[in-house]
Amino acid sequence: MGIHEGLIDQMAGEAFMRPQVHGEEVPVPEPGRPVLASAGPVLREPVLQRRPDNGWPSYEDMVARLAVLQRAPVFFTLSESTLRSVARRVRRIRIGAGEMVLYQGEPGDTIFFIERGRCRLVVEKPPTEVTVAVLSEGDFFGDAACVLNRPQQASVYAQTECILLALDRQNLAAVLGGRDRAALEELRKVADHRFKAFADTATQATWGMLLREATVVGVYSPKGGSGGTCIALNLVGSLSRAYPGQVLLLDLDFPYSHAALLAGLIPTTCLARMSEVPADAFEEVLLSAVLYHSGGPMILPGALKPEEGDEVTPELINRAISVLRRTFRYIVVDLGVTISDSTLALLDLTQHMVLVVAPELSALKSAADAIDILLQIGTPDDRLSVVLNNRTAKPAVTRDAVLRKLKRAVDVEVAFDGIKPEQAALDGAILSVTDPKSEVTRGSNALAALIDRVHNRSVVGVAKHADASTT
Amino acid sequence: MIDHARGSIRRNALKRELHEIAAGHGTRLHFDLDATGFDAALVLAQATARMKMTSIELRRLVTAFHKNGSMNAVIDGLSARNVDRRIRCCRTAGSLRMESVVPWLTPLLRAKDARVSGSAARALGRIGGTQAADALLGAVQRSGPRRVFILALAQAAPDLFVETALCSDRRPGALGAVAIAAGLRRRRTAIGPLVALLGSGTHRQRVICCRALGWINAASAIPAVSTALYDRDWRVRISAIKSLTVLHAESSFDQIEMLLQDPDLRVRRVARRSLRRLGNLMVRRDARWLWH
Repeated sequence: MGIHEGLIDQMAGEAFMRPQVHGEEVPVPEPGRPVLASAGPVLREPVLQRRPDNGWPSYEDMVARLAVLQRAPVFFTLSESTLRSVARRVRRIRIGAGEMVLYQGEPGDTIFFIERGRCRLVVEKPPTEVTVAVLSEGDFFGDAACVLNRPQQASVYAQTECILLALDRQNLAAVLGGRDRAALEELRKVADHRFKAFADTATQATWGMLLREATVVGVYSPKGGSGGTCIALNLVGSLSRAYPGQVLLLDLDFPYSHAALLAGLIPTTCLARMSEVPADAFEEVLLSAVLYHSGGPMILPGALKPEEGDEVTPELINRAISVLRRTFRYIVVDLGVTISDSTLALLDLTQHMVLVVAPELSALKSAADAIDILLQIGTPDDRLSVVLNNRTAKPAVTRDAVLRKLKRAVDVEVAFDGIKPEQAALDGAILSVTDPKSEVTRGSNALAALIDRVHNRSVVGVAKHADASTT
Repeated sequence: MIDHARGSIRRNALKRELHEIAAGHGTRLHFDLDATGFDAALVLAQATARMKMTSIELRRLVTAFHKNGSMNAVIDGLSARNVDRRIRCCRTAGSLRMESVVPWLTPLLRAKDARVSGSAARALGRIGGTQAADALLGAVQRSGPRRVFILALAQAAPDLFVETALCSDRRPGALGAVAIAAGLRRRRTAIGPLVALLGSGTHRQRVICCRALGWINAASAIPAVSTALYDRDWRVRISAIKSLTVLHAESSFDQIEMLLQDPDLRVRRVARRSLRRLGNLMVRRDARWLWH
């Protein structure tokens, strides 16, 4: 601190001689500065301010503040009077789009409630970063640093222009420290729970990079016939061009798994038949069941008969993935429509989710619900990619309507490709391997490049093949 | 001699009592602000120096002070005529982080006696929070950039408080002091507002912004600080050179080298010193690279 005190002395001497007129300071105009500022009308204040605060907020302001605080789950149980005390003590801050609100690793003493706008929580884990959550109106952040005295877990950026309500530690303790200590304890528990959840999410999303193991990519289509298997197969084809022999498709689209059939391969065994295999022989037997396609992709069928689907338990999936992770660079899993225990077990193991949507009314409704579920179970926002697969030349639902319904951008759009996918299935070919001009190939290349970029693998490998338009 | 010995005994007794209460082993407290032979407020300040605001130890002490009536005596003492008593009360309030005392401490920032206003500022710095920081900001605006006020502001300000003040037009007179506080807090969230102020502020504010960005170690602000090397004001140029030296901005070496031809002797001198330091760093790095 000593060096700074010296500098302040120096600055106080040379840099603070302000222009004065009749003993009063002349305010200096600053053109076009505000980046983040106190929200609300700017009032001219008297030179000598008698009270340290700016008085009580107006009635409308209080109602607005209370509405935001009441939406926070931890303050839901507070009494009316306590909530009013909290509302009186919060600061309102306006943040410009793209501005940094908090920086990871720094100490913090304030909880921020989002009154308006959207904020992105980013955990930086070199060499990559993970968006662990996108928060909107009614959500809050900064709680772990404020009540648990931990450094900020994530950097927070404003995605849009935001208005935040800031409640600092002193005010929190002043209101809840005496009367509502139980609420403070509850807040601590919530903060601890969220801290662990974000840490788990960040770790799961970067698992492959941390341990140099395979990245698991789940391909999920909430409605049958949307082209989920086709996209998964071609994605494996695109990735295989960059990493031959290092990409595996695990077909868990139960009860009817057709990935091997579409690739023109004839399986003789599957994952479901390995539940009884002893632990010491498991790896050898599992890898011997993998089918090799001449174009580079490798496929492991989940079940050969519909009734075998039940044999694939969460434990078996965990065992299989832990073995396959050590062998391959990418594991693409084609998931079925139903969300079963095995699907949930696999979602816990995935680092990236691809949601395939067809521009149809029922598919869109299901996709919107699926996005909500995936985000709720902890899929990081930037690890969820939406693929719009046009199955007809002129879809009934427009692209704008799709965006409106899904409330998020479409990452990759696959244009209508005529009868090429069906013809390729009949020929036992994978379009992304055999036909570079196909629309499906362009889409799968773009998706592969996106996944490769997010997971910070060799970007050049896939990106050079990705000539499709990424939206 | 005997008085001194008695004072030492009493001081140690109080210290023991405070430690016992903080540890949860005792509840009885004999705290006399006017005790002769030693400063009770100083003993309390030393005992609570490492305690965090939300810690159970501090909460136990606050409860003990409430129970034996010392808290009321502290609040009464803030308006006492005796300067020493007021200073002790300020220190006690700060040590116990008494947020409720902030409205009583705020008027003391206007006290004619610099010792009283200084101790009130330090107390507000320790208490922290929006109210305390707002009071200190008002004091900086009113009575100019006193060192003790700025340090207390840097200590008291909650997250985004100084950043908001830097972007606000409500206290233009305090912007320089707030920029120093932002630099002292070393929060990266202040980089954006400081860079903005560097581009639009007065020459005094630009001087401070350059130095504050250096203290924060804002490598991302090197391009903005490099631009300040061409400022018309020699003080801004000197400040930018110093800041770039702190930031180890080797990429700005050539730009600083050009300032060896600056018309101002002081700028040339600082540039020469800076180049020597940056050059040493670069040589050391290259040597390390060759060694490995």
